[in-house]
Order: sequence, then C-alpha cells, then structure tokens
Amino acid sequence: MAGLRIDAEKCVGCGRCVRACANGGVRIEGEKRERRAVATGDCVYCGSCVDACPVGAIAIERGEAAGAADLASYSGIWVFCQVDGAGTVLPVAFELLGRARELAAVRGCAVTAVLGEVPGASEGNAAQLIAAGADAVLVCRDERLRDNDAECFARLICDLAHERKPEIILYGATNFGRELAPGVAVRLQTGLTADCTVLEMDEETGLLHQTRPAFGGNLMATIMCPAHRPQMATVRPGIFRAPEPDAAREGTVEEVALAADMRPRVEVLEHATPSDEPSITEAERLVVVGRGIGSKKNLKLMRRLADALGAELGCTRPVVEAGWLEYRHQVGQTGVSVAPKLLVSVGVSGAIQHLAGISGAECVVAINEDPDAPIFGAAQYSVVGDAVEVVTALLAELEG
Amino acid sequence: MAQIRPFTDEFEEYRRDESRSSGEAESISFPTSEQEVRDVLRELHAAGTPVTVQGARTGLAAGAVPHGGHVLNVSRMTRYLGMRQDADGTFYLAMESGVVLSELRKHLAAKNLAHAGWDDASLAALEAFEAAPEQFFPTDPTEASACMGGIVACNASGARSYKYGPARPHVTALHVALADGDLLVLRRGEVHADGRTLRLVTESGRELALDLPTYVMPATKNASGYYVADNMDALDLFIGACGTLGVITQIEVALMPAPAVVWGVSCFFASEAAALDFTEKVRPVLAHAAAIEYFDAGALDILRRQREASTAFSALPELSDDAAVCVYVELDCDSEEEATAELYRLGEVLEATGGSEDATWVARTEIDRESLIFFRHAVPESVNMLIDERRRADPTITKLGSDMSVPDEHLHDVFALYRRTLAEAGLESAAWGHIGNNHIHVNVLPRDAADHKAGGELFAGWAGEVTAMGGAVSAEHGVGKLKAGFLATMYGPEHIAESARLKAELDPKGQLGRGNLFGEDVLEAALAQVAGAVAAPAAVPAAGEKGGE
Amino acid sequence: MNIVVCVKAVPSTTEVKMDPKTNTIVRDGKQSVVNPFDASALEVALSLKDERAAAGLDTRVTCVSMGIPATERLLRDCVARGADAGLLLSDRAFAGADTLATAYALTCGIRALPAAPDLIVCGKMAVDGDTAQIGPELAGAFGVPCVAGVTEVVSLDDGTGGAGAALTLRRDSDEGSELVRVCLPCVITVSKDVATLRMPSISGVRAGEAAQIDVLTAETSGADAARCGLTGSPTQVVRSFVPEREHVSERIEGTAAEQAARLADIVRGME
Repeated sequence: MAGLRIDAEKCVGCGRCVRACANGGVRIEGEKRERRAVATGDCVYCGSCVDACPVGAIAIERGEAAGAADLASYSGIWVFCQVDGAGTVLPVAFELLGRARELAAVRGCAVTAVLGEVPGASEGNAAQLIAAGADAVLVCRDERLRDNDAECFARLICDLAHERKPEIILYGATNFGRELAPGVAVRLQTGLTADCTVLEMDEETGLLHQTRPAFGGNLMATIMCPAHRPQMATVRPGIFRAPEPDAAREGTVEEVALAADMRPRVEVLEHATPSDEPSITEAERLVVVGRGIGSKKNLKLMRRLADALGAELGCTRPVVEAGWLEYRHQVGQTGVSVAPKLLVSVGVSGAIQHLAGISGAECVVAINEDPDAPIFGAAQYSVVGDAVEVVTALLAELEG
Repeated sequence: MAQIRPFTDEFEEYRRDESRSSGEAESISFPTSEQEVRDVLRELHAAGTPVTVQGARTGLAAGAVPHGGHVLNVSRMTRYLGMRQDADGTFYLAMESGVVLSELRKHLAAKNLAHAGWDDASLAALEAFEAAPEQFFPTDPTEASACMGGIVACNASGARSYKYGPARPHVTALHVALADGDLLVLRRGEVHADGRTLRLVTESGRELALDLPTYVMPATKNASGYYVADNMDALDLFIGACGTLGVITQIEVALMPAPAVVWGVSCFFASEAAALDFTEKVRPVLAHAAAIEYFDAGALDILRRQREASTAFSALPELSDDAAVCVYVELDCDSEEEATAELYRLGEVLEATGGSEDATWVARTEIDRESLIFFRHAVPESVNMLIDERRRADPTITKLGSDMSVPDEHLHDVFALYRRTLAEAGLESAAWGHIGNNHIHVNVLPRDAADHKAGGELFAGWAGEVTAMGGAVSAEHGVGKLKAGFLATMYGPEHIAESARLKAELDPKGQLGRGNLFGEDVLEAALAQVAGAVAAPAAVPAAGEKGGE
Repeated sequence: MNIVVCVKAVPSTTEVKMDPKTNTIVRDGKQSVVNPFDASALEVALSLKDERAAAGLDTRVTCVSMGIPATERLLRDCVARGADAGLLLSDRAFAGADTLATAYALTCGIRALPAAPDLIVCGKMAVDGDTAQIGPELAGAFGVPCVAGVTEVVSLDDGTGGAGAALTLRRDSDEGSELVRVCLPCVITVSKDVATLRMPSISGVRAGEAAQIDVLTAETSGADAARCGLTGSPTQVVRSFVPEREHVSERIEGTAAEQAARLADIVRGME
C-alpha cells in the first residue's frame, strides 16, 4: 500500500512540510523538542513536502504497479512528425529528431520518425526526416489523415506501437500533439509527461528523465515512467535546436497502413487563419509608450520600432487621454494587463496603475529621461536618456 | 536633497488629477523622505511660493491640481517605517505618505512588509504580526491606487465605511510638515483642544495657539471642511484638511484582523423605489454588512452599452434585461455559517420588498468578487470615457459628480430631490454610490456647454437643500477646488472666514493647497487679518517662541 | 440529455509564493477553488442547458470531481450556479494519481451515474498541472471522439432531424482555428475564455446547500484499486525543484548610440 512515510528519528519538527502542503496532508504534533510531523489522511502524494524537508525525513512509498511491462522487449525512440495543411513537416519535429538522435546515442538505439500524410504527398518529407536524424521513417499515406483527426492518428500509432514496441515516443506540444498524445497514452495504458523542457536518458535502464515546469514555471518537476512502455513526452516547439540537415545520412522508409475500420468522427467544416486584429493582451512583444515620448508625431517612430521588433504597440493612460492612441492600446489597471516575453517601455514614468498591468512581462526594457522614474524599478534593463534619441539609434541598429 | 525641477512638458500629467481638471505650475519636486519635503518647503517659503501637495492624483475634487507655483509630489515616499502592538493586540503600522493603498493591501495580505532600518521594537512587533491572523486596513475608496497621504488628506471613505467608518478613526498618528519646513508630530490621545482653542508645539519648539472655527458638523458621513468639535483631538484637525494646513509626511494607522469570509451580493430591482425600500428595511436586519452600494438605471445602461462596445469590458457579467437598478451588499463575517445565515436574512428582506432571490449575484469566491469589483469600477471608468468622448466635441465639458450625504431619515427625500430637479433640467445622468450611508454620487453627463452649466447650477441648488436636511456637501471626496463654493453654502461665510483664519495661522503666507477649500478673496482677507494680528504683539502669546518667522 | 462536467479543485491563487529561506513553494493551506478552465466548462454546459430549456428540452448537468472530502464544498457551489447534481470520488486509494489514474477514476465515476452521458465537458487544462491530458484520455477510455481547445460553442443540433445529435464548435488549431462538427456522445475540452461562469443567486446558494452530493470510493465506484492513485500511476515525480532565476538589473550607460547597440544585442539575444 502506498503511503507517506515520515522518519520520526530524523524529523526536527520545523514545519516546512506543513507550509509546502496544499492539501493539509501533514501536520505538526507535540510540544517543543517533541514536535514531529505526522501524515494526515489528506495527503495526495504530490511530493512537495519531500522536497521541502531539510533533513530528508519524508519519503513516499509506492505499492506494486499494475500492468507493468516486460521492459526488455521495448527499444528505440520514435518521434511523431506532424505536418501542416500544406503537407510541410512542422519545425518541432526536426527539433525532436535532433534531441532523439542524442538520446539514442546514449542508449545505443535507433530513431524512428512516424509520419502521417495524405495520398500523393511529396516524397520529400521522409528524406528530410532522415537528414535530420531518423534511422527509419514509418509513413502512412491515407485520405483519413487529412484533417489531423486525433482518433485516426492515435489508432495508427497504437497499432504500430503494439507491433513494434518502441521504448520512447516523443510528440511536439502543438495543439494537435497535446490532443493526440494523451489519446495514445490511454489506449496504451502508459505514462505521458506534458511540455517537457529537459529530456535526459539513463544509459543503463533506458529511463527517460523528463523535466517540466508546473505552477507557471515557479516549480520544475522531474518525472519518470519506470514500469510502463513506451515512455511518452510532449515538448513545446522551440525548446530544442533543430540539427543541421545531413543529406549524407541514410535511413529506411517503410509504408504502413491505417486500420481499415477507422473513420474520422470529427468533421472539419472550415479552416480559418488567425485574424489580423493585433491583440496586445497576447502579444509576445510589446512596445509601450508614455507621454515622455514628447509628442504625437513621435508615435510614427515608435511604430517603426514596434515593427522592427515584431511587436505590438501599447501605451499608458495619459497617451489615450491625450487622444494619441485608442483605448484598446491602453496597458494598466484601467486598460488591459499584458504578459509579453519582451516589453520595451519608452517615455513611461511608471505610475502604480500602469505597473500593475505589466507585472506579467518577462523582460522589461525601460527608456526614460528621468533617472528616478519608477518604471526603472520594474525593468531588467534601464536606459536613462532621451526617448527619441535612443529609439532612433536603436532603429539604426535594428534596421541597419 | 530633492531637486526642484522646472515644470517642463515632461510633467504634463502632473497638471491634472482624476477630477480631470488641470492647472498650471512652474516647478515640481519628488522628495523621497520627510527631510526632503521639509528642505523643499524651506526653500520655497522665503518667496512664499504656492505649494500643491500631490500623491497618486486619484482625487476627484481637484485637491492635487496645481494652482501656480510648485507641485510637491510625495509618490516616491513609499517606505514602511515601523510597527507596534498594543496591550489588546492591535497592530499599528507607520509609513510614509506616498504608500499606495493597493500595495499596502498586497503587502499586508502577503505579510511581506519591507522593514529595512526598523528598530528592534518594530521588528519584534513585525514578528508578532507575521504569526497573527491576517490584518487589514479597512478603508476602501473605489480607487485602490490612491496613496495613503491622499486618503488621510481627504478623510476618504469608500464602500466599506458603512461598517468601518472613514479613514479618520483608523489614523493614530501623523507627521505634518508646515509651510516653513517646521514639523508637527501628532499622536492620537496626546493633545486635545480646550473647548475650541487648540495649542500645539512644533518640533522646533514654537507654540501655536489656534482658534478653531465655531460651526457644528452635520451628523452624517462628512468630508467637508476642517473637522472641528469641542475638546477635539489635535490629530483630527489634520485629517481631511485637503492639504491646506501642512504636508502629511508620515502616517500611522491601526490595523484590524481581516474578516475570514467576505461575500458580495448584487440584488437587482425593477424600480428605484423598491431599491430604496430594500435599503431601509435591510439596514437594521444585517449585523455584518460592510457596504451597501447602489447603481441606478443610468449607471446600468452605461454598463450594458460599454459591455457591447468595448472588448475591454466584455468580461463584465451580463445584466438581465429586467434589472433596472442594483443594490450591492458586502458581508464581512467570521465564518461561512455566519455568512450563509446573513445571506438568507438578506434574501428574506429582498422577497418582502419586491425583489427576488433569483435576481441576485452572490460572489463567494475570489474570482466572483473580482468580477463584482470590476463591475463597480467599470461604472466611473465608463462615465469618464463617455465624458472624454464628448469633450472632444466641446472641450469646456468636464465631469460633474456630486458627493453629498444626508441622515438616514432623508434617504427618500434626497432621491426625490435628485429625480425631480434632474428631470426639470432635462439632464442625462448616472448615479451610484454608498446608499447605506445615504450618500450617492449623482453624475451629470453633459452633452454640451449648456448642460454643463445647468448641471453646475443644479449641484449648487442641491448644496443648499442637502444642508437643510442636515447633510454634508462632500461626504468623502473632500472639498478640494471644485466644491469650495458648496462649503460656503454649507457653513456660511462667517464660518468659512474662521476656517481661513485657522489656515492662515498655520500657513501665514497662504502657500499650501492654494485654491482648496477657500476662494482667493476669502483666503487673502484671512491672511491679511492674521498678518495684522501678528504685527500687534499682544494678540499672540509669544512665550518660548523660537524658530518661527 | 445528460452532460457531465469534470471539475478539479486547485489552489486559490495562481501567484505562487516562494519561501526565500528554503526556496520551496509555500501554499499555506489556502482554500481551493474550481480550476478556472473547468469553471468555463461548467458555463458551457449551463448555457447548453438554458438553450435547450428555452426549446422545452430537459438537460441534466452533473459535475464530477476526484478529490479530498472537502471538495464537496466546491460541488455544492457548482449546484448553486445551476448544475443539477454533484458526484465526488474520494478515497485514500485515489491519492497521488497521475493523469492516467485520474482519468480512470473519473471514468469509473461517470459509469456509475444513473444515465450515460451524451456529452462530457472538461476544462482544457488545470492551472496547477497544465497537462491538458484528462479530456483526451477520457475520450479514449470511453471510445468517443474528442475536440480539444474549444473556443466557441457554435450550435447544438439536438438530433430531432434524425441524423443524431451533434455539436458545431470552433477550436484552436495549429494554423489558426477550425470550425468542426462532432456527433454525440463526445468529449470536449474548453479554453478559459470560451465563457465566464455565472454567479449563483441566493436561491442557487440555498439549492447548493440542500443538494445531496454523492460520494463514491474506489470500491463503490467499481474501480480496480491497482489502477487507482499512486499505485495505478505510470509516471512518478522523482524530484521537484525551484528553477534558478536570473535577476538581471542592468543600467545601460553611454551615449545614445552605445546604449542602442547594447539594447540591440539584448533584443537579438531573445530571438
């Protein structure tokens, strides 16, 4: 039987485990020197207390897992390679192949790309996948795979996995990959780790150490799947670097079939490309301007900066009040809150109401003439200088 | 020391506050400590330069709008200075006046107060605070980005004043820098007036003998003019003084244990009459109501339109078509059981006064409470946007918002007054506010300059009627510059002259908060009178005077 | 028509506090709330119920959750907002479940309901786990189609035309969005912005307090204990840790040109 085990000999009664617990799964009993942590009935075995314990007094014991697989019969790393509507393989597939190649080198196994296409697709994809690191490509060309139907793809992968027993399957954490992978996991009754940022291989056991962020990146967790195969993970695009294609690489291409009884049950009526209406709420990059840019005519310069950075344009409330920009550009307590990766703040003093709206930004670069402007307190990079002068010089750098 | 900088275009926004009126200034400073405030004041005193104190500029009465001269902006004075705990367990937190309320709340809730430089006694109190149940500062003006100095300067209230009163009773000590840079250190309970005479000693040892005005304040929610009463605590004079007597540099407030359970209930009615009935009947029934707020039909219609028109407001909860007006009640309770019982009592009154338990929103979770707060904020915000739009056509239009309160027995009367006169004048309006305290902000939405003028006249008329009902012309925003005329209606010219003389005693060159509370002629007369009195030595007891002018 | 909404209790704050001394997450036992994505899922179900009620059709919305006994409070809140019933799966044996074991427990609970669901609505993901796996796994377990990441419920065809009931939905795809049609029964997972959950009324609160919330254990839900909780979870968290954060704070000095050159380097470094 699984359980939380607290070693009363080691426990010093510090209570860190209690503070770390979200579920009231542990409490402190006893007075003074006799204070000890004890498990309550509410533990959900999340492991937070194990990590919080400064003296290593807490452990989670596990029961015997059901359905444990015959681990030795599984081998090889598979990468699911998603194609877009035009039939082009998504970049994340190449990124994963690159990492799979490195993991396979540690483990001494083969890398297989799994590709689903429509009939008549160009022959080029398989060759590209081999050049990126695949030793073999399993390709299924079937009309039923046209609209990324997760059930059809899941069936294809499950049938292949039952037959060929891969040790690992990796997926891009795209919208489709995040729908497909759990569908495969439940059918194969195996584990799946979402959105991994680090993948490492244990050479001996073939165990994949899968590290992923939780709680909005405030906590990282390393996860393993010790007794079930295949081990499966999804990885966000852009985490790994795609390898330089090596046209000299050789590999096999094998055509495989989708089970005849599969029928897509989700009918795609219409595809729509993203609307052009830029949204500052979701922008990855933002240039935010304040009254400190001087005058309305300088907006043109700021728009150029935004374009050069691939950013949207936001502003402070005084800019809207002055009628320089519309309300939908307003960032702050009475406007919208933003959470871009990069926020370049130009001529913004940084009123508290404004700062409240940009607290989600990952990196703030502030340009302002006043060295004491509160915006600098929220900035990673501070530039004291004339907004127009600095931005003009920056544009020269970026556009030059 | 804080730099006195020329008032260049860069500081454009410091010409205005949330009242949306603007003024002119020649210089500005952003002191970062009490010492810097006093240095700036000393430097400006010789020439008698007018000084307007600014905090977060969220005021609605133009108190922070400059009136020529210098703008002294305390928004960079944001340190916490110390903490103490008294015998009955109450915590007191001292801070600089630029601390912003929303930050204070965040820091209190997270028990994360920056305490660099605190002495051992404060650190010990901090440790007790960290171990104690969550504490809060109950005053909640709608604008949480207001700063504490501004909150004290206008004796702000907000919705929860129904239960907790205005800021005044929660303020336990102040440091006030005088126009000449001297300092008053005031602690509640230490110095009281003798009748209407108040004696104060400044830090430099100067003695001040002040004659307090002789009026009697109305027994309603009130932020109009100086607080005066027989044998009053000296501290109270400087709370709600609109920046006219001195610059508040440091504030100590008493904290309270935060209520364990806070629920918000929005009740919708088909008519204003039903909402008023409900308010009167529910007041005696509820033991835990912290706020009772009102939104009239004009306010709800603006929200409906705003929700459709702007994506920024699309997250507003959708109003049903038959909801004409809304009464919002906040329940602050010790347990969910207590809150549930109170909610059911509220529901019974609702059913008995023509409302329905079905036509309610009960916010019991953080997300729902935020949604109702957003709803509450969206009303004034939407009105501002509407006025801004109309201003583009006619720049003379400004927002016209009333802030008057009356005693309980005149709730129906004051609504009848508002409705009758608004209809007669043919004005568009939206009203919302603190119906629990019979204190509604009626906002006239002028379509043109004529409407704007008519609205101003209407308010002036209300000032007289409300005074006759025993009410106050400003219940929470303070008088600032916009309501100086109403103050004269409320207290009469003689009492205003007394108030101005009091100011002149403390600020003999009339530098501070010029334009606030008093018209120029009233102030000039008082200054001349006081200067004349000083010239005649017998008029002022000069014992121990040193460091004075 | 029977609609099941799966809800998860999550910590009330997404703002995670760190203990600077121990560098661990501090939760301080704050009350849990319904995962915001699941709240949107409930609103989708309640809106469908309203729409059908207007056409004179009956709909029963049941909220199902796996969690500690205190989760009952959240299910009462769901009823207060308009759900017809709540079912709680609560047992020590369920504790420590990963997504596969959670999906299994939910499947057992849903199978134990008096009527089979026509539609299961889940939030796309939970704010504390971010895995987005429960919905697709439930669909796989029930052998029904899944539409994940729904951003708009366009219409419900109740099947009176004879072709069988079907939903028309808009969902995020990797190339924008798609309008799709899916026959019932099915599972859909919804984005947070698909709808804002309505607030309860006072009468709703009374209904929530009066409601009977069924509680099932592993045994009473007919679950195989070996597939539940920690024991039934293929994945294990072997280590959790706080990532090292770089707290950059750099004042860039020099002439405008020098400052711009440094800024350009920083911006390029982020690509």
